[in-house]
Amino acid sequence: MFFFILTNNNSNKMFFLFILFFSTLISISSNSWFGCWIGLEINLLSFIPLISNSKNLLSVETSLKYFLTQSLASINFLFMILIKFSLLKNFNMNNIISIMMNSSLLMKMGSAPFHFWFPNIVEGLSWMNNFMLMTWQKISPMILLSYYFNKNFLIFMIIMNLIIGSLGGLNQTSLRKLLAFSSINNLGWMIFSIMISENLWLFYFLIYSMMIFMMISLFFLMNMYFMNQLFINNMNFFIKLNLLINFLSLGGLPPFMGFMPKWIIINFLLINKFYFLTFIFMMTSLIIIYYYIRIIYSSFMFNYFKMKWVNLLMKNNMSLINLSSFISISSMILSTFIFM
Amino acid sequence: MCFNSFFFLFFFMLINFFFFVYFIMNGLSVFFEWEIISFNSMSIVMSILLDWMSLLFMMFVSLISSVVIFYSKSYMNSELNLNRFIILVLMFVFSMVLLIISPNLISILLGWDGLGLISYCLVIYYQNLKSYNAGMLTALSNRIGDVMILMIICWVMNYGSWNYIFYFDFMKNDYVMFIISFMIIIAAMTKSAQIPFSSWLPAAMAAPTPVSALVHSSTLVTAGVYLLIRFNYLLIDMFFFKVLLFLSILTMFMSGISANYEFDLKKIIALSTLSQLGLMMSILSLGFPDIAFFHLLTHAMFKALLFMCAGVIIHMMNDIQDIRYMGGLSLYIPLTSLCLNISNLSLCGIPFLSGFYSKDLILEMVSFNSFNLMVFILFYLSTGLTVFYTFRLIMYVMINDFNLMMIYNLYDEDYIMLNSMFVLLFMSLLSGSFLSWFIFSYPYMIYLPFNLKLMVIYVSILGSILGFMVSNMGIYSLNKLLLSYNLSSFLCLMWFMPNLSTYGLSYIYLNFSQILFKNIDMGWSEIYSGKGIFNILKNYSVFYNIYQMNNFKIYLFSFILWFMILFIFFFI
Repeated sequence: MFFFILTNNNSNKMFFLFILFFSTLISISSNSWFGCWIGLEINLLSFIPLISNSKNLLSVETSLKYFLTQSLASINFLFMILIKFSLLKNFNMNNIISIMMNSSLLMKMGSAPFHFWFPNIVEGLSWMNNFMLMTWQKISPMILLSYYFNKNFLIFMIIMNLIIGSLGGLNQTSLRKLLAFSSINNLGWMIFSIMISENLWLFYFLIYSMMIFMMISLFFLMNMYFMNQLFINNMNFFIKLNLLINFLSLGGLPPFMGFMPKWIIINFLLINKFYFLTFIFMMTSLIIIYYYIRIIYSSFMFNYFKMKWVNLLMKNNMSLINLSSFISISSMILSTFIFM
Repeated sequence: MCFNSFFFLFFFMLINFFFFVYFIMNGLSVFFEWEIISFNSMSIVMSILLDWMSLLFMMFVSLISSVVIFYSKSYMNSELNLNRFIILVLMFVFSMVLLIISPNLISILLGWDGLGLISYCLVIYYQNLKSYNAGMLTALSNRIGDVMILMIICWVMNYGSWNYIFYFDFMKNDYVMFIISFMIIIAAMTKSAQIPFSSWLPAAMAAPTPVSALVHSSTLVTAGVYLLIRFNYLLIDMFFFKVLLFLSILTMFMSGISANYEFDLKKIIALSTLSQLGLMMSILSLGFPDIAFFHLLTHAMFKALLFMCAGVIIHMMNDIQDIRYMGGLSLYIPLTSLCLNISNLSLCGIPFLSGFYSKDLILEMVSFNSFNLMVFILFYLSTGLTVFYTFRLIMYVMINDFNLMMIYNLYDEDYIMLNSMFVLLFMSLLSGSFLSWFIFSYPYMIYLPFNLKLMVIYVSILGSILGFMVSNMGIYSLNKLLLSYNLSSFLCLMWFMPNLSTYGLSYIYLNFSQILFKNIDMGWSEIYSGKGIFNILKNYSVFYNIYQMNNFKIYLFSFILWFMILFIFFFI
């Protein structure tokens, strides 16, 4: 992101990026609910300049949509805070107010059933802005969610997240929308991990954002936005391998890095006897892996489609690609040395 | 390569002979034991048992294999990869030696599996379709025995070690020993081709003739008998031993009958091997292990010689094995026909050749001890059948007119093959008496009435007359096989047992699996798990997409609607 901003000679955006980071920190480290709301507002305000580019009509429209949804959610959040203070006199009880606060936070995150804006907006943003939207913007709503959540409501929302994330992505050809639906699915896992422990959520979130970063940087460097662009260009072997490994890791396949957080969550699920929920987690993961593999299967076949007259020059960036493949493959094993 | 291995094996035979004489004269037996690993309560040891029985058997095995390797230098001289063949034969001999000297079930398993595997490699040595099918039949029938021995290894773990010979005296009435005895009998039956499993032995004649001489006459098929001789103390009053008696005398009888209908030279010899194996198994199951061992050894000698003579004849007849093309060969190949005649007569039990000592002893023991009428009848009938097919063979091959095309290539003077046959000829003349002087330190007491004593001779003379009469074919002879077609095909095709092992096993299952494949794999499971689920999911996704592609205002309004619902339902 820094790299992109620096190359575009746009230091105003650097300023807004810093405010974005600080706003999240304000939101998660505040004493009162009001401070949380302030952080969310500043988050919205500083993200809008990052994504709007007045030369491009699509990005203007996207930023307007983003502004409308997020501000509606923030207004709702503030209103619910005030109702809670006035009705319950600062007592925390697990009831309707918590449902209402959670649903406004869920809309902020882009989680089901309030997720309809999310694929639309993702379609209109560039890759680096998408990265910001999918990773950083989820931090503060998640942590606020962990302060006052309604367990039954959230479990229902988790199930909806998983199902919509898996089923919605089956019919997509745009890579951005695909990653958006996968992000909705992963939101389901993350909300459940928040209900277990915040430490676990942090672990899941870090690994998820690392994997998303690898994917998005790969797509960004190759300037690919749609599925039909994937194998038309003559990628060399390492790029295809990297694509393969990272997608499988994102899907949660065992030897790769992405399996570890899902494994721990399933461990908790089974110990605490959430059997039906485990089943839904498993099955939706399978559907997600299906459409990942649909993207990458041509890269691990012996006979693959190759157009020889298009050459992809990526000489300067091989080290990043090799490093990311290495991390994805070996993290699980190396982590046993660290966390022995 | 041939000469080296011949000299090595011959020298090994001499060493074994020396030690055998020393051990049997002094009543010694030596037991080496080397503990490889000991974990929890079991200990895996590699042990070697050298007593007179194993040394004698090793001597015979190494003699036959050295002679066979020398013979195959000339028999297979047109073979490009002769070294491969010799190496396979040497590995076979090694597995057999490992089986003979081991009192330990795991090394028996190594030798047993090695025998099965290498005999498969040798049977498919000529790579054509017939050898492939024969090899499959051989390997899979032997595999049943391997599985049985594996299960025995598993059961014997109850006792703490795999040296079975220590447990016979103490554990005879145990349930575990009951199971073990059942399995060991089945294992020996598969290796020695008794009745349910006897279809592989005639089929394995697709192997080269030296292989048949070594493997299918004396070593592989006698491994089962040898194993039962070692287990004899366990099995001697078990019920399954009586079942074995029944099946082995039926094997003897059936193969004697089937050999009379056969026209392939090697198959006749194979069926005669099967008959003699049945004889060995039956005398073993009557309770006389040393006589069974004696017959095993003398039979090895003359059967290997018989196979080698058959090999010479097949070479001469331009690779034709059908006896209807042969005839009058005694005029042209005197030395080979000398060997053929002596081994045939030794097989019949003509007095004072080697087969006489063992076979006559068996028949007299059967008459002297009181057994079943059926046992008695089948023994003598099978002896008569042996003479019958032997004389028929002699008539067809030696005495009747020559039936091949007009070009004669009857060449006897291949001294490599002849010298190897002479070694075995010498042994097959003398080994009967020499073994009986060694093994039986005092003779068995047999006291029979006159006619019962001569019963053997009566049956033999009857068999020879019938053999002579059957082989007098003329142009105008009535083909009696067609008159009694059903009975004849039953008797000729080995009582339909090959169908049991081949067609019966594969046809039903392949048919059933085709039905399963078409209906389930390519049928219903496509709807319920393959394409069907994919279609359902795709339809869900398309349905979802209708909601996704919507007006933006609708999303925002739906959020407000949700809150209105919450407010209405919970605040009123």
